[in-house]
Amino acid sequence: MSSQSDDGDTIDLAEGVDHQVAMVMDLNKCIGCQTCTIACKTNWTDSGGREYMYWNNVETKPGAGYPRDWEEMGGGWDEEGQERTPGDLPDQSEYGAPWDFNYEQIMYEGSDEPLRPMDDAADWGPNWDEDEGAGEYPNSYYFYLPRICNHCTHPSCVEACPRSALYKREEDGIVLVDQDRCRGYRYCVEGCPYKKVYYNAMKKTSEKCIFCYPRIEGEGPEGEVRGPACAEDCPPQLRMVGFLDDEDGPIHKLVNEYEVAVRLHPEFRTEPNVYYIPPFAPPQHSERGESLDAERIPRTYLEELFGPKVNEALNTISRERDRVRRGEESELMEILNSDRSEKYRLEVFDR
Amino acid sequence: MSDGDADVLVRSELLLLGAFALVVLAAAAVGPIIADARPAFEIPVSDASEDENLDNVSAQGWDAVPAATVSLSSTGSSVPNSGSISVEEAKLGAAQTDERLYLRLSWADPTEDTSTGSLRAFADAVAVQLPNDTDSRPPIAMGGSDNRVNVWYWTGDGRTEELLAGGPGSTTNLGASELTADAGYSDGRWRVAFSRPLDGSGENRVSIPDDSDLDVAVAVWNGSNMERSGQKSASSWHYLALDSDTGEPPYQTILWAIAGIAIVASALITIEGVRRTRGE
Repeated sequence: MSSQSDDGDTIDLAEGVDHQVAMVMDLNKCIGCQTCTIACKTNWTDSGGREYMYWNNVETKPGAGYPRDWEEMGGGWDEEGQERTPGDLPDQSEYGAPWDFNYEQIMYEGSDEPLRPMDDAADWGPNWDEDEGAGEYPNSYYFYLPRICNHCTHPSCVEACPRSALYKREEDGIVLVDQDRCRGYRYCVEGCPYKKVYYNAMKKTSEKCIFCYPRIEGEGPEGEVRGPACAEDCPPQLRMVGFLDDEDGPIHKLVNEYEVAVRLHPEFRTEPNVYYIPPFAPPQHSERGESLDAERIPRTYLEELFGPKVNEALNTISRERDRVRRGEESELMEILNSDRSEKYRLEVFDR
Repeated sequence: MSDGDADVLVRSELLLLGAFALVVLAAAAVGPIIADARPAFEIPVSDASEDENLDNVSAQGWDAVPAATVSLSSTGSSVPNSGSISVEEAKLGAAQTDERLYLRLSWADPTEDTSTGSLRAFADAVAVQLPNDTDSRPPIAMGGSDNRVNVWYWTGDGRTEELLAGGPGSTTNLGASELTADAGYSDGRWRVAFSRPLDGSGENRVSIPDDSDLDVAVAVWNGSNMERSGQKSASSWHYLALDSDTGEPPYQTILWAIAGIAIVASALITIEGVRRTRGE
């Protein structure tokens, strides 16, 4: 389905979906504090076979990510977007697993050892390669990439399930796993190129980010409509939450009008509904500490992550920044710097 | 030659012919058993008693139950790698008491996979598929929406489920079930014994008939080959011979009986003709 906007452009929504939730994350504001990760974890994945799961994770880029090297594991669609491409099932070690520290020995058994992980410690975990990034001093670089399920318009996890246990909700396009239909085959885990569906080995079913649907339905704290916990709890408030087809909302403007919010790995062709404002970094420095007229994060790397549209997005933002520097007005910069009250638009449609 | 001699001759000829007719009939009855000429796709069903405990996979009673070899192949399912299978045949034995049906499957599998407890771990599994409506044969791939199948499923991680399906992807757990499964692995071979009351107690669970054969198909999954869902080794439809005592098609006996009677009758007519031409 697609809806017609005022200027004649169409907003592509999935077949049979009335509206589509969407999120825009401004990567220039992420400080890698993992508050979103913990907000999600305490809400949804703190026990019961979910210990290793991070429906929301923040990884360092460039970096191998979570699970390790997920970008190389396949999944998604072919170039025509018609045939699914096969994906790999990650090994448990590629996610990492929680481990214990020697608190018991130090606190109660009188050990003189320093605090350290016990022998069961993993050798990989979420954001294991924190802040490593790439490049050579003084021009090394990295940024943080928060990731949740993209609640795609063309989700390959839904298509991968032979039992139709995964589906897009008609009212808002949230992708869910019907826990009664799931038989733990894990084709969805293989099929998602972002590796955002997780197998629960205790329940024998697959589970994933639910876009905190009880919160956006008003079933959350104090019975109010709230954004997903990862967004609401973010200290720098880098996420906007709303509907892609809400033409008066900031998400529509950032994605469709200014085209400064871009998809992660558009070449997977699942059409994510989580968008990113691409990261800027200080310019490169010379050995003597002078600023050079060269970008620190290589455009080629950003293109690898966000596709060719990232160039025009970065150019547009640079242009609008310059306008503000010159004392001119910029609607785009106002949107990007809006306060909390304008970041969540979840009650625009009758539900 | 006296009349008395001729009478003796005729009587002995009749005896001989009668004996021949009996041999023909007997051969019709026991021949197929001696030659083990079991019709293709037939799974013989032995009579058993409750005290044989055939719900135990290693019960001695199973030694007396003949097992049919069932060929298995991939299904052509749309799931990835559905053509990659590793088990090519299974043995299926069947027995029944007045109350229960017992099915024992065995197949060679060099790896004993009993865990689904980690991301890449899949358990070995086996299933028996029976039609819900015993009067018609459902599509082999998990039945059809108006022709459902009742599936008895065991998996190496310890679960036994009675399932309902009406086509690929529609498998539904029927919940509380009197189906039992007992499994053992030794010498590179799984053996799994299913047992369930003949009475299905519900419209979605097949009741085992006592007056007609029952279609049956089997499937096997090898966990270490990451087999699950439609990636499985499956058989075509076979049938449990529940209809008659011997299990052989009745037309054979009828045809041989008619042939025997015809031979005897034509012999008698010939003898009578000989006697008349002699003017006796």
